[in-house]
Amino acid sequence: MIWNQLAGNLTQGLILGGVYGMATMGLSLIFGVLRVVNVGHGAFIMVGAFAALWLFTALGITPIVAIPIALIIGIALGFVFFYLVMKKLVGAPELTSLLATFAMGILLEEVVKLIFGTEYRGYNWDVGRVDLSVTVLPWAKIYAFLGSVAIAVLLYLWFNKTRAGTAVRSVVEDSEGARVCGVNVGWVYALSFAIGIGLTVASGVLLTMFIPVGINPYMGGPYTLKAFVIAVLGGLASPYGAFFGGLIFGLIENGSYTLFALLPGAEPFALTRFLSFVILLVILLIKPTGLLGAK
Amino acid sequence: MRLVKYYPLIPVYLGYLVLFLIGKTLPGMWQLMAMLSFYCAVGQAFNIFLGMTGYVDFGYVAFMALGTYGMALSIAHLYQIEWLGIGIIVIGFVLAILMSGLLSVAVGAVALRLRGAYFAIATIGVNEGFRYLIEGAKLWGGSEGIIFSKQLTEAFGRGVANKLSTFWADVFVLFIAAIAALVTLCFIRGKIGYALTALREDEEAAKVMGINVTKYKIIAFITSASFAGLIGATAWALKLTHVFPPEVFEISYTVECIIIVLLGGAGTLLGPIVGGLIYGLSKYWLTVIVPGFQLLIFAPIIILIIVAFPEGVVGMFKRRVRGTSLEKFVI
Amino acid sequence: MTLLKLERITKRFGGLIAVNEFDLEIREGESIGIVGPNGSGKTTLYNVISGVYTPEEGRVFFEGQEITFLPPYRRAHLGLGRTFQISRPFGSATVRENVAVGALFGTLHGRIGVDEALEMADRYIELVGLSELKDKVAGSLTPVEKKLMEVARALAMRPKLLLMDEAMAGMHPKDIDRLVGLLKEIKEEEKIAIVAMVEHIMRAVVGFAERVVVMHFGRKLVDAPTAEALKDPKVVEVYLGRPLEEG
Repeated sequence: MIWNQLAGNLTQGLILGGVYGMATMGLSLIFGVLRVVNVGHGAFIMVGAFAALWLFTALGITPIVAIPIALIIGIALGFVFFYLVMKKLVGAPELTSLLATFAMGILLEEVVKLIFGTEYRGYNWDVGRVDLSVTVLPWAKIYAFLGSVAIAVLLYLWFNKTRAGTAVRSVVEDSEGARVCGVNVGWVYALSFAIGIGLTVASGVLLTMFIPVGINPYMGGPYTLKAFVIAVLGGLASPYGAFFGGLIFGLIENGSYTLFALLPGAEPFALTRFLSFVILLVILLIKPTGLLGAK
Repeated sequence: MRLVKYYPLIPVYLGYLVLFLIGKTLPGMWQLMAMLSFYCAVGQAFNIFLGMTGYVDFGYVAFMALGTYGMALSIAHLYQIEWLGIGIIVIGFVLAILMSGLLSVAVGAVALRLRGAYFAIATIGVNEGFRYLIEGAKLWGGSEGIIFSKQLTEAFGRGVANKLSTFWADVFVLFIAAIAALVTLCFIRGKIGYALTALREDEEAAKVMGINVTKYKIIAFITSASFAGLIGATAWALKLTHVFPPEVFEISYTVECIIIVLLGGAGTLLGPIVGGLIYGLSKYWLTVIVPGFQLLIFAPIIILIIVAFPEGVVGMFKRRVRGTSLEKFVI
Repeated sequence: MTLLKLERITKRFGGLIAVNEFDLEIREGESIGIVGPNGSGKTTLYNVISGVYTPEEGRVFFEGQEITFLPPYRRAHLGLGRTFQISRPFGSATVRENVAVGALFGTLHGRIGVDEALEMADRYIELVGLSELKDKVAGSLTPVEKKLMEVARALAMRPKLLLMDEAMAGMHPKDIDRLVGLLKEIKEEEKIAIVAMVEHIMRAVVGFAERVVVMHFGRKLVDAPTAEALKDPKVVEVYLGRPLEEG
């Protein structure tokens, strides 16, 4: 009996993990290229969630179509933030860019609060479900997973097959060398930042396909922590590592929930959050470059 | 021990005295004074780490939370021991320092070996992690927290208990702020100040110059965390007589600390006070005018400060008075 | 007495071998010039000696004690001082405070207080000729002044061995002479071994170094007293690209 439940939870975990992973790719991309940790990460996910909500409830646009729209919104937002703020902080100490992204996150939360208020909202997009004997999966969740994989693949193709993507990779390897080879490093920074934000906002849509309720301006916080754990798991600078880190994290999160629920007198939800923090610290202690990262 | 070294503390202590007097004499000003002293105190405490090392601890409020629990646990469990009297409060403070200090040692041992960005990530986790430990393992009342107003009254009688919560709690905050100021000055002027400045400016060069950077980071970290614990013990536990996880682990307090230190001038002695006053007054004013939207206004201000005025008010002032006789006082 | 000994040091970065089976011995009070074109591995060598890098192979000894894996700050306490190719002053502190850092955390660490350190700082600042600037914020100095300050700071550490990293690159010949004179004076008075690293054999090295070590693609090419080294055909070939014609 318990194994069935565990298997079911693990399947759900894997699917969710794919979405988590995709949500973290933007974070890893931005760190990999700009060496900046986007501390406001969760707020951008929240923006995507609200985008999905509004597009669906106000304009009847299904979440699947909302994905590319959110991507574009995110990229635009990324460019705006980059040229308004990040560009001016290129030489500054790490502290300043951390605080800048942190403040950007807060600003987003407050603006969204201004527009939408603080109540928890949700939407209902029911397209049926699939019975897999160990668990029942709504198609929406499966689409979310497929969407995540699709975006990950697209990113891979972009990195390796386009000129822009190659330019970005060269900057990650050696920014001075790239500059000398004629790569416009400033533009690469802007593009990478924008795409990173775009990915993050788009992931907000995917997340709502998974959890279409509880959407509010402050929902981003827990996702920021999860993203950091995943990013560190997969190697902070590697978007692909982030994806696989996400899968692993999804499995651990759901698996541990089942196991914690067995403990009498414990609160499994809170404990899984605690566990993710412990994992984070352990990895940072032992192998900060991530389980899947480079030495 | 040359007294001249301590001149910069004069404006600080004068300021606190004035604050206290205004609060006590003018009707209705006590709460505002209490809030301002709170902000100055947390600013001073946070500055010892952020200002002097340049590292951001996004989980700082966890130390305040633990201090709150320290005092709460002392009162809630020891209130029936008659002969302890005021000792319960003293034990509360001691517990507060111990608990926040221990957490800082645990976190510091892991996080302080890491460079800036990784450190920030590790500390973001501390806040959430510890809060969920308390809620998840139903520690110390779990998600319901602890309410101990009854116990406080039973231990001290209604009159004294009231005085403790409404008067002494806030005065203690001022004392803590004053001690933190002293410690800040000693750090700035002493060997540790040189080490911290060096490692803040250029950590690799500092190592080569013979500075054990991890050791000094840890000292600053634990000191800063301990003060946070003390502040939590009095401004939250003693004053509000309850502790409730979502309240005490609220990340917005860390945000406020960051604003105060940056605004005033990171790494300076007067900075946190100037920052605390400006921030406290602005927030008070904004709450009256546009309630609920203070952060909306402060967030772009943070960005503006980071981009355009990274040295803060006191930092800019310092540059102006360089070479004049005021230099001794503006630290 | 051998101060520093490098035994078959090899440092790799991925597939690139930056320093290749390098041996070196430096005695107390010696003045050495390490010479080699860009990319020959000089800075990597310095980083291995000062502890910023750990070598893949080989060992480092200081005064007979192995320090291959010792952290940089401990090496500073033992007596290893260093300046950097691109100056790294502590920008927001004054010149005096910068130099005092050296005094506080160098070989005298733990035995010296802040006031004494500031006094020591004054002496070394005077030695390098920056006394008028001692209360200026380090970030506002000219590059040459920063270099001199770095020297003062490193000297304030009272090191037994001073590694100078391309200290003279891009300097006016007049300033180079001044610095060389300074180094000689220091050598005489303080009996410090000084290793200066330069890209080309120039007036700096000739005027100052007793011994020259030439590096080439991470290997030691020549290790000989200065006069001999200048005449060594291998050295000439490295710099001119072809052997000297006879006659």
